[in-house]
Amino acid sequence: MKYVIAVAIAELFAVLHVSVMQYIEILGVTPDLVLIFVAVWAVVRGHEEALIVALLAGFVKDLATSDPLGTSALALTPIALLAAATRIRAVDTEFLPTIIVVAIGSLGYGIISMTVLAATGQSVAWSDSMLRVVLPASLVNALFTPLVYLPVRTLSTQRRIGTIGTRRLTSPL
Amino acid sequence: MRLLWWLAAVSVISLTSIVLSERRAFDPVQNLSLTATTPLASSLRDAARPVDDFFKGITDRGDIVRENRDLNDQIEKLQHAVAAQQNAEQRVRELESALGVKQERPEDQLLVANVMSEDTSGLKRMIAIDRGSKDGLDEGMVVLSRSGSLIGTVSRVLNNYSWVQLVTDPDSSVNAQVIPGGPQGQAAAPTETPAVTATPAVTRAPASPTSPAPTGGPAPAPPSPTPVPSAVRGVAEGDLKHELLLDLLPPDVVLAKGSLVTTSGLGGNYPRELLIGSVEGVEQRPQSLFTKATLKPAANLAALDTVLVLMSFKPARLTQQ
Repeated sequence: MKYVIAVAIAELFAVLHVSVMQYIEILGVTPDLVLIFVAVWAVVRGHEEALIVALLAGFVKDLATSDPLGTSALALTPIALLAAATRIRAVDTEFLPTIIVVAIGSLGYGIISMTVLAATGQSVAWSDSMLRVVLPASLVNALFTPLVYLPVRTLSTQRRIGTIGTRRLTSPL
Repeated sequence: MRLLWWLAAVSVISLTSIVLSERRAFDPVQNLSLTATTPLASSLRDAARPVDDFFKGITDRGDIVRENRDLNDQIEKLQHAVAAQQNAEQRVRELESALGVKQERPEDQLLVANVMSEDTSGLKRMIAIDRGSKDGLDEGMVVLSRSGSLIGTVSRVLNNYSWVQLVTDPDSSVNAQVIPGGPQGQAAAPTETPAVTATPAVTRAPASPTSPAPTGGPAPAPPSPTPVPSAVRGVAEGDLKHELLLDLLPPDVVLAKGSLVTTSGLGGNYPRELLIGSVEGVEQRPQSLFTKATLKPAANLAALDTVLVLMSFKPARLTQQ
């Protein structure tokens, strides 16, 4: 069920990405809501779930854009690794690690996307793309993280409480 | 360890998908997905546009007033130029008739298409349109704006939809020429306005033959007997930094800001004399073999909602197949 919900949210974000987000241009780029969603899911729900969510959300996003199917899935996968790395932390908060995962994940996403484009025969202006697309996208995505983080975090907390309550009721003790 | 296995599995699935996607195995799936999401995407686009216009209107008010004043001046000049051009066209028709010359493209068949979505990745400049192979579209077909200027080519065709690579895409290159006559060459632009009707296929007015641009003076100027300088040729390429660059120009070329740039027809992938844009700036370096010019696209590529696909022109890359 959780993956159905994740795919539905990713689909909504993918549709928003190709329709509305073109009007929200900051530093020459538009925020990538699907990427932010996967990063938030990875930190809040764990990297194991995130690997599957990254794959599904990536496919959903590629179906709505002109990228070869699988490009976003491949480019979103490192986010799960990053989320696993953020488990080792001194501060007990998920918000700051999410921002870091979104920022670094955006860099990785851009580089992998450019590599796939180059491998499929399209010309890529590496330095221009890095300076004008990838680096600004990293910053802009990090700025938009709270918009996705807060609802996902809230929903996730409610689900966790529900799960604990159910277990208590059915406990043999 | 388990994480690494998962990672490897996901990577293999993704890479396999990319390979299959490049072989068009997923085209029906993408077509189905676009069919399912298009109504929602179109509604969201339509709903967001007035909001965007409202905020842009507030922030750009000064520019809009200034632009409006400039446009009114331009309209007046263009009306004179159109009158002069109509006289010139009439004269050309008479001469063609007298000499028995046939026009190369008497009528262009155009297909109206709606823009559904835009690739906002930043790495590419693509739009999706609601016409596909069932409407007769093929890869390489030329796509024009409503006013008839070049905006790109069909790069990927699905059954009901197509992706159009805009001229500003880093992968796009078009053989182009600068119309002689400097900024006054703007008078050439309105001749490309097609008569668009509600029916999908429409005809387009024949492009006027290359001629020296008429002046924007108050009275229509008679045909000048002075020799016309030859058109300067180059390649218009998409660029992430400047949007559109005109490269491979001769090193000693002198270009005026505002000079019109059209397709040259070389290579056979684009018809001749489709308006691409106007010269915004020129970059000349002593050690460089070629001059570069930055272009401003004639069509507003950021706000496309309807485009025209040129059905009657078969690009060389299609006829060679």
